[in-house]
Amino acid sequence: MIHILRDFRPWLQLLVRRRRRFLCGALLVWMTLIAGLALLGLSGWFITASALAGIALALGMPARLDVYVPGGGIRFFALLRTIARYIERLYNHNTVLTLLADLRYRVFGHLTRLDDASLHRQRASDWLSRLTADIDTLDNFYLRILVPPVVALLSVVVISLFVAIWLPGVALLMAITLGLLWLIVTLVTAMWGFSRSYQQVADQESLRRLVVDQVQASAELMSYRSAQWHRSLITIQEQQAHSNQRRLGHKTALINGLVSAVAGLLVIAVLWLSSLGFVEELVAAPILVMAVLIALGLNEAFIALPSSFIKLGASYAAVRRLNELTSAPPSHEKQTSLPKALGLAINVTQLSLLYSTSLQPSLNFVSFQLPAGKRAVITGSSGAGKSSLASVLTGRLEPTEGDVLVGGERPWQVAAQSRASHFAMLTQSVDLFDDSLAENLRIANPSANDELLWEVLAAVALADWVKQLPKGLDTAVGEKGQQLSGGQARRVALARLMLRNPSVVILDEPFAAIDAATAQHIAASLDQWLANRTVIYFVHQISSLNLLPRVEFHWHLVDGKLQQYLIE
Amino acid sequence: MRDIIDPMVTEGTGATLTPRRWLQALAKQQRKRLLGAALFGVLAGGQTIVVVVGIAWLIEQLVVQGRSPIALWPVFALLAGSVVLRAVFQWGYETLSLEASLRIRQLARGQLLDKLSALGPVWLTGQHSGSIANQAVEHVDALEGYFARFYPQLRITLLLPLLILAVAGWLDYLVAVFLLLSAPLIPLFMALVGMGAERLNRDQFVAVSRLSAHFIDRVRGMTTLQLFGRTAAAQQDVWYATDGYRRLSMRTLRLAFLSSAVLEFFSSVAIAVVAMYVGFGLLGYIEYGPSTSLTLFSGLAVLLLAPEFFQPLRTLSQHYHDRAAALGAAESVVNILNEPSLVSPHAPMTPSSPTAIIEIDAVCVAYPGRGQVLGPIALSIQQGDVIAISGESGSGKSTLLALLAGFIAPSSGDYRRVADSHYAWLDQQPCLLHGSLLDNLRLAAPQASREEMSVALQRAGFGPLLAKLPSGLDSLIGERGMGLSGGQAQRLALARVYLSKAPLVLLDEPTASLDQETEQAVMAALLELAQEGRTLVIATHHPEVIAAAQRHFAFAHGQLVEVAT
Repeated sequence: MIHILRDFRPWLQLLVRRRRRFLCGALLVWMTLIAGLALLGLSGWFITASALAGIALALGMPARLDVYVPGGGIRFFALLRTIARYIERLYNHNTVLTLLADLRYRVFGHLTRLDDASLHRQRASDWLSRLTADIDTLDNFYLRILVPPVVALLSVVVISLFVAIWLPGVALLMAITLGLLWLIVTLVTAMWGFSRSYQQVADQESLRRLVVDQVQASAELMSYRSAQWHRSLITIQEQQAHSNQRRLGHKTALINGLVSAVAGLLVIAVLWLSSLGFVEELVAAPILVMAVLIALGLNEAFIALPSSFIKLGASYAAVRRLNELTSAPPSHEKQTSLPKALGLAINVTQLSLLYSTSLQPSLNFVSFQLPAGKRAVITGSSGAGKSSLASVLTGRLEPTEGDVLVGGERPWQVAAQSRASHFAMLTQSVDLFDDSLAENLRIANPSANDELLWEVLAAVALADWVKQLPKGLDTAVGEKGQQLSGGQARRVALARLMLRNPSVVILDEPFAAIDAATAQHIAASLDQWLANRTVIYFVHQISSLNLLPRVEFHWHLVDGKLQQYLIE
Repeated sequence: MRDIIDPMVTEGTGATLTPRRWLQALAKQQRKRLLGAALFGVLAGGQTIVVVVGIAWLIEQLVVQGRSPIALWPVFALLAGSVVLRAVFQWGYETLSLEASLRIRQLARGQLLDKLSALGPVWLTGQHSGSIANQAVEHVDALEGYFARFYPQLRITLLLPLLILAVAGWLDYLVAVFLLLSAPLIPLFMALVGMGAERLNRDQFVAVSRLSAHFIDRVRGMTTLQLFGRTAAAQQDVWYATDGYRRLSMRTLRLAFLSSAVLEFFSSVAIAVVAMYVGFGLLGYIEYGPSTSLTLFSGLAVLLLAPEFFQPLRTLSQHYHDRAAALGAAESVVNILNEPSLVSPHAPMTPSSPTAIIEIDAVCVAYPGRGQVLGPIALSIQQGDVIAISGESGSGKSTLLALLAGFIAPSSGDYRRVADSHYAWLDQQPCLLHGSLLDNLRLAAPQASREEMSVALQRAGFGPLLAKLPSGLDSLIGERGMGLSGGQAQRLALARVYLSKAPLVLLDEPTASLDQETEQAVMAALLELAQEGRTLVIATHHPEVIAAAQRHFAFAHGQLVEVAT
């Protein structure tokens, strides 16, 4: 119980910042409800009073009834209810959506601060469901879990006090019955549906993963004739999810039935008790009718509660996962910045790196020196530790042991902005965004004009190809750059790099999937751009030194250990 | 035998599905349950009528006739019974409609997944896997409210107000006339409001989908964003995208809430008007029509019936967004269902030559919207052939391979394949499933034992890594092979080939983007597979692979030419 509250706290705190909006919203809901009850109660009072006055008049007895005040009241409450309802719904939804924008922004902010290791631990499809589904579930939380019970409780209290003016016994019955009902539709319902609705979120995620698998592995599933097998996995998962939802739905239906029965029986009880009072002349008939009609209308405050509270577990699941994401330990004070030289010296001593998820260190006592403005090549097969070394050199990972100095600073202690402007890296797997070619290039330099873009495209021998595309620079590259071939995507990434002015450049397999002639052309333009910068090439093997001009150092990585080679 | 059964697309008739028609077709499947639910709803409403009329009668008896409540206890008891009965009917309504909605969603998801199979890998490559998963999971679930609430409520709304009108008319026909007069205004307003809301809701659905895609894309490229120091800008981007969504939503809601305000207005005004009419009638201020015969009983009863008359419509309007959400979701699903299937729905003919595995004859391939991309081509693949296919990128190698694999049906010409043959597939970027190594190997052979899997992994050179993994075959591997390097993923894919024992292996540039060591391993594996007598078709531009092949075809100017080896 306590840990549940603790998990919810950061998100409740977000709400506290907007408490005025929350209170305003709750007040509007309450006003709508009370206006409705007042309308019904006053109408009942008026009709009964009229009927009695009418009978008295018909019998020739003197009777007076002021019809203007109740009449005006009835019209007022009718209008108030309409207007309050409209404003309330608009206002509250605006609050919720404002909160959603806040939440999404905040969660994405947390994601941007994750380091390489944590980034790779997550799965892309999880991220998606985190930002959209989890935050949408929190939307459920604010509008359905927080406002309505407050309104319901407030209404019960106010109405009971009001009725107590004439019928204290009836009021006590109302307060106790509805108080208990309130507990049942909030706390008891929440506890009853907690684990199942918690499970519902997990079910949905598993189902989503299976569908992503079906899409991504469609070629394999079809050729190996295993589509039926995979489909049966989906069916099993779906059935499990549905049986869970079914039980949850049955519980909700049961509680809804209970609310309906209790509220109805309460009305009958109020009528019974107040008629006993009427017989003893403790209460006037119009008041009796008013009390009954108010009791009749009061169940509106409870109708929506069970179906919201039964899903509290789903909100909790979402909150837990968001917490997991946002509670990553704050990374180091990244304060230092790098000197403003074009090339920076790299000094690596006894560097070791061990990922928490792996058994063997990825880097094992690696040492080397690379003077400022010089170029080196580090060879090694896949898995030898090249990507890890690149991550450490660019400050994206902190070594487990040993030291790294770039331009005299430890890269992982350098402020992110300074790192971004001093380091440039072509990663092994190229990230292109689902946007136009131009926008993908401008990621590197938002202020680059078209002329500059054409220049770098020419440097990677893509300009002619882009020119013949009907949309030119505005051509969409597709998800993960899928509209481009592997070699083209790599060249776009290289072109993107050339829009920057870094001191240290790391190129991981710059010529992979690029044919020899094009590679030669690119190597020449790269050579120009790389002048005076400190450069490390990471390649599987050196096919030709022609592609790596002015390289003065050659190291070879095997299983995280570095060996020196001589350049002939 | 039909390979993949496609339930929705009526090929040949060319009829396209609309979201409405799809929803109707789905509803038809659960007609009985949905009608049953509606019936329960009407019965519950009927009990409400009994309760409010009963209360009005009791009040008249107690207040005007001065009867003692003790003497009236049987009526109290009957009313209590009625209240309980109403709760039972409500329970029946909810459980039945829930069941219908669950079954319909299962059906809808099944149709979508079937369609994805029929569209095949070629079509799926161009799609966001995240947004397709969104459609199969979230969008199908978005149908819930429509079938569980809106659809039965619509039936209730057609019937229950008539019932109330009849009772009100019996009590006081002027009130009934008033209610009747106000009733046609409501659907008019609702329709006006609803039409706008529907369009906006559709826009919103597209926006949500785009928002998810935008996000997954930014997260995938988080490393790049960090490297270029563009995370702050991307975060702003996310905010703008979300705030745009908020503004779009508020526009939708401003209109959508109007419909509920209209109803609220009518329902409030109905109470007010009836109260005034009854009050003045009882005072004797109104002296025409039935008002002279008004009693406290009939007056109170019509007062309580007036809001009940509007209640079904109010509930319907509360569920209106369910309909809009379902239509929005249906539209995106129907867009997929309406895509022309690329995979042939028919099983291919058997080859004419007994030794041939696949024969294609004068085959052309055309993509919808792009026209013919390949052909005409003739090729006969014999058992045990090792065939290399080379050509510049974009020349049609991959399309030919997709054609051979049956991922895409020829637009003309004959495609013949040994019936019910399975084959192995290996491409540049081997797909890794979410899950364990075991799951990933099952993909190729669901029935394989753990021993067979270990052997296959050993043969593919995955052995050393397997030995290091703490949970062995049960170790989890991540999306995009983040846990595994490209080379290791390719070895895993090779292990699938070994495991499957498929006689035919189709390989699309299997050695591209591999390090030399893995490349050598793959090369050795290819030779080994060939020696086992498996038939290999390899799209490649790797000279060593071409040299190792028995037959070599090259694409030149759109033609497939056999090159002497």
